[in-house]
This record gives sequence, structure tokens and C-alpha cells, in this order.
Amino acid sequence: MDQYSDSDWNTKFYEELVEDIEENKNIIQCISCGKCVGDCPAAKVSEFNIRKIIQKVLRGDKSVLKDSDIWHCFLCERCVRVCPREHINIPLLIIYLRNESFKQGFGPKYNDLRKYVEMAERFLTKGVVVEEPLGNELPKERVKELNKICDFARIKYVFKASKINNKKRKNS
Amino acid sequence: MSFSNLALDINEIKERYPEEPLSFFKDKKMCLFKACLEKYFPGVRYGMLDLSNELDLNVSTCESQSCCSGTFFQRNLITRAQFAAINERNVYELNHQADIVLFSCNGCYNSLMRGRDFLRIEEVRYKTEEILNGLEDKFPTNGDKYRILENPSVRFLHDLDFIYLIRNEIIDILKYELNDLKVAVHYGCHYLNLSRDKKNVDEYVRDKSKLEDLVSLFGGTPVDYQERESCCGWGASQVLINQKEALKITYNKLKSAENVGADFLLMPCPTCLYTLSKPEYREKIQKWYGEKLDIPTIHLNELMAILLGCEQERCITLRRTTPRLQEIFESITQD
Repeated sequence: MDQYSDSDWNTKFYEELVEDIEENKNIIQCISCGKCVGDCPAAKVSEFNIRKIIQKVLRGDKSVLKDSDIWHCFLCERCVRVCPREHINIPLLIIYLRNESFKQGFGPKYNDLRKYVEMAERFLTKGVVVEEPLGNELPKERVKELNKICDFARIKYVFKASKINNKKRKNS
Repeated sequence: MSFSNLALDINEIKERYPEEPLSFFKDKKMCLFKACLEKYFPGVRYGMLDLSNELDLNVSTCESQSCCSGTFFQRNLITRAQFAAINERNVYELNHQADIVLFSCNGCYNSLMRGRDFLRIEEVRYKTEEILNGLEDKFPTNGDKYRILENPSVRFLHDLDFIYLIRNEIIDILKYELNDLKVAVHYGCHYLNLSRDKKNVDEYVRDKSKLEDLVSLFGGTPVDYQERESCCGWGASQVLINQKEALKITYNKLKSAENVGADFLLMPCPTCLYTLSKPEYREKIQKWYGEKLDIPTIHLNELMAILLGCEQERCITLRRTTPRLQEIFESITQD
């Protein structure tokens, strides 16, 4: 926690991350009170520490993108509720950090993404994340729309993995 | 362009219809948002459907509505604009069909609000429009193309807020009561911590007690417990990815509710219900944390169905193997 001094501020990274997010314009005003950490479910069961993550971001320390910690957030928004400042939205910051992490080629562990293979397949073939929905299935032309919307998205690559898995299963 | 949230203004209804808020809904076209996880708990949808029918409300589901896609956005598998486009497609379809959409799932409710919020960012809005323009298929009913609706008339309402709003009118049609059962309540993070649907700070930060109030009204005893406000353990799919850690949160919650002698745990979200009741998770909790926890879990809509006197098969038992649920059903429905 004390690896940084007051002269280490470097907000360029922060500005890149939050330039278009009104909801996070005040991260720079974080007073490190720690309320977010105290009420955080992820902090109770992992090394996830919002205060440390914000400190890194405000120092321009991009090693945060390689940390597996950012993938442990529950996105429960509890921190938003207990934060004494307005316009600090940690879950949204985490989503942006994860996105940047993906872009820089780090991203989550392969095994983590594997859990999404089936869900991605169902979403892109049926429009739901369960095997069969309760009630009628989404009409085929509507499913096509979802596919089109998701063009070039990572979900498509995860879906591709399901096709490769199916092929392997058939061959064996 | 302004993109005000689409949450139904409950306070306005309370002011206009202080005695009979239900009358506001009588001439409205209502639609149940289909949450994916209702597949495992059909009573969540049937409960609301049966309640609405009992109240003579005009309720349907929307055939063209897709999954909210929140789970993919939370793991960065789709972009903000793609997420917003999926949402706007749903908003467009729902707006065509209904005046009010009811949500049984905190996650879906949050997603629809979140997607709409993103449109305030010019870059996201531009890309979302571009994506929607790229869809060749026409909307089947009115022949128009999908587009961002700046001021749609449709409004969103969480099932818990709806049931709470009309609670005094529901009480007359219930066949059973809770017979002093002790009930621990779980709101779920995306209900408890959500600010997107609130119009003022007070509504957001003050203690939430709607579930407790309903339990008391239905003849039960709400019990407080230490982990009342904690997460169910789902944690945006953490239970799938870092299972041992996430199930520690689930364990703490269930254990805490059992410790105060709760007969069951009541919640307004099928995703929380899935996490807190899945037999596989209960077994893993026993294996990893050394305790067999058998507290039953019930969604608010399922409870409404039980209290209305719906058939057991329809309210709770389809595909359910939750421990001791039968016991709770019997103690409520005994004559």
C-alpha cells in the first residue's frame, strides 16, 4: 500500500480510462477511506482490493492490467453504495480495466473463459443462456439479429471454441 | 438527447392512487420480462402470471425478447455498444407490446437500466445506432427498423416493487398465510445497491425493508441476520469461475440465516435463488466448509403462488430439489 509517495501521481492512464464516463469523473477524489474494501465480498475471499487498484490507476501503474485481482470483482455495486463520494463507480472502472486488459493481450485465464463457452453457444443459437428457455424459443430471425449485433465481439471467439470442442468430441 | 431511466415512477402512482394503486395498472398492457434462469424455477414466472390473472391484469410475454446479455457484458465478451444494442432491441420490442414490463430478476432489471445509461455517452450511442442500422431484418409487426427510442413510453418495474405497491389489495385474494414462519430475507445486490432506477438519494441509501414488510403482512415473522445485505455468491459469475471463494460467501449467507432459526430464505431474484439453492453448490459447501446446510430458499413470486393456493407442481416443485421445500409448502398450505 505504501509503495507510492505523494509525488507519484500520474493521471494519464486514469484520464484514458474514464474520459467518457461521467459516472467515474471523481475517482481522482478517492480519499482512500476503505469503506469499499470493508464491505466488499470479493475482498473477503480473495486478494481483491479496490483501494490498491485505484492507487495503481492514479499512479499510471499499468501493471494493474496484468493482475488477476481485477477478475475477482463481484460487480455487486456495494462499493458504489457505501462510497462517501459521488461519481465514483468502481464496478464500471473494473469493467473498463478488464477491457483494457483484454486489449493489451492479458485478459482472464483461459480456464475462466471456458466456463462461458456453453453460455455463448446458447446465446448465439437460441438467444438465452440456458439449454432450453421456459416457454417458446426466440424466433430464428431474431437470433440472427443477435449474431449480427455481436459481430467481432469476444463472445464470437468463445463460441468458436465451442465448435472446435464439438468437432474434437465427434472425432474422438 | 436525453435518456432518462425507464423505471416506473412509483411515488407518482402512490400520490395519484393512494388507496388503490392497483387501479393504475388495470388499463395497462403489461409484459413479464423472461429471465433465463426462470427455466429452473418456473414458479417464478407462473407465480406472477397467476397473481396478475387473479387481479384481472392484462399480462403477456414478448416473443421477440432475448436474454439481457448482462452476463457477457460483465465479462467483457461484448462491448458497451453491443450490450446497449441488445438492450435497445429489447426495449424496442417491449415498447411495441407493453406499457409496463415486470422484472423477476435483479440482473435483467439492472441490465436494461445499465444499457440505457450507456446511451448518454455520445461515442457509445453512435456505435449503437450504427449496429442497429446494420440489422437488415425488419420488425415483423410494424415493418419499421430497430432504432434507439429517445422517449419510449414503456416503463420498467421490479416485481418486488410491484407486489409491495399493491400489497394491501393482494392480501384480500390470498388463500393462505405464513403461519408465523420465521423468514430471513435476501434482496440481492442488484436490487439493494442499484441507484439507476431511483429518483432521489434517500430512496437509494435508506434501509430497505419491503421484503420484511411483506413477510409481516403475510403473517410471517421476519428475522434479522448478520449477512442480510451480503451477496448470494453469484457475483457476476464468480461462482462459475472462482467457485470455492464464491461459495464461501454463499455459505456465510446460508449459515447466518440458519443461525437465527429462519425457516426459509426469501428473495426477489432467480439468479440469487439458483446460487443459494443449487444442490451441487450445497454439496460443495458441505465438502469445503464442513457443514450441511438445508435451509429452504423461495422466490417472492413462488411464495405468492403458494399463498394464492396454486398447485404445488406449478409453484415450486418443477425441476426443484431444494431441501425441505416440501416441508415449508405443507406448513403454509395446511388447513
